[in-house]
Amino acid sequence: MGRVRRSRTHKSQRDIHRASRTRARTRDLDQIQLIDLDPKNRAALEAQPLDFDKPGLAQHYCVECARYFETDVALRSHWKSKVHKKRCRALKEPVYTIEESERAAGLGREGKRTSPSTLMSTAV
Amino acid sequence: MRIEKCYFCSTNVYPGHGSAFVRNDAKVFRFCTSKCHKNFKMKRNPRKVRWTKAFRKAHGKEMTIDSTIDFEKRRNVPVRYDRELVQTTIKAMKRVEDIKKRREHAFWRQRMAVAREKKRAYRAKKASKAVASVKLVEPVAVETTRTAGALEKIKVPVKGKSSLIQGEGRSMQMDVD
Repeated sequence: MGRVRRSRTHKSQRDIHRASRTRARTRDLDQIQLIDLDPKNRAALEAQPLDFDKPGLAQHYCVECARYFETDVALRSHWKSKVHKKRCRALKEPVYTIEESERAAGLGREGKRTSPSTLMSTAV
Repeated sequence: MRIEKCYFCSTNVYPGHGSAFVRNDAKVFRFCTSKCHKNFKMKRNPRKVRWTKAFRKAHGKEMTIDSTIDFEKRRNVPVRYDRELVQTTIKAMKRVEDIKKRREHAFWRQRMAVAREKKRAYRAKKASKAVASVKLVEPVAVETTRTAGALEKIKVPVKGKSSLIQGEGRSMQMDVD
C-alpha cells in the first residue's frame, strides 16, 4: 500500500504539555505589560550583558514576545512576523491579573475602593 | 485560614482544596480544579472564556456596581474575637445575602426583558425578509398531453380472502411431516 494520509494535516496542534513545563516558562503577559514595557526596563532588556547560556549571547531580545534571537536579522524579520504583531495586539488591551479575578468574585481590598470603572473599561 | 478565590473562574477555594502555582516573582495563582489549572496552562484569558466570572462581569451579565458587593473584603488587620461581634456579623451576612439575591434577580429580569425585545425585533425582521423573498406565481392552465387511454381504469385482481382473518382460506394448522 502507498501513502494513505496527506502530509501537513496537523495545522496548529501544539504540545501544550511540553510548552507548559515550568522550566519552559517565559514572562507572562501581565509581567511584560506592567514591567518590561516600561521604557527604563525596556532599555535594560534590550542592552543585556553577554550571557553565554542564552541564544545569541542575549544580544537580540524581543521584549514583547520575551524571546531571544540568534542574530539581528532574525530579530528584525521576527518584528515583521504575524506572531509578533499578534502579541503586540494582545499587549494593548489591559491584562488580566489576580486582582481582577478577585474583583470578579466580589472580593475587594480594604483601604482601596473597588472601582467598577476599571471593570467596565475592560468590557470594551 | 482564608477562603481564597480561583484565579481562573473566581469561585471559592476552601482550605485543603484546589492547587496553587507560585510564579518566580512570588505571585500565587490559586485554582479551584484541574480544569481551571489546565486552562491557565493553555494561557487562556479568563475574560474571554464564557464560563468564568470575569467574563460575565466584563460583559454585563452580572451586577458590577452594587453596595452589597462591597462587604466582602480581604482584611489584613486581625480582629480580636468578640462573641457579640460574631453574632451580629453572621446576622448581617444573612441579611446582605437576602438583599443581594433579590437585587440579582431584578437585574437578571431586566437583562432578559431587553434580550427578549431584541430577539422579537430580530424575528420580525427575519420574517419580513422571508416574505419578501417568496414570489407568488399565478396558476396558469397547462395543456394536458395525456390521452384518454392513459386515464382508462386498469383492473387489478383483488384477493377475495384475507389472510389476516382467522381461518379464511387457510387452515391454522402446521404442516407436519
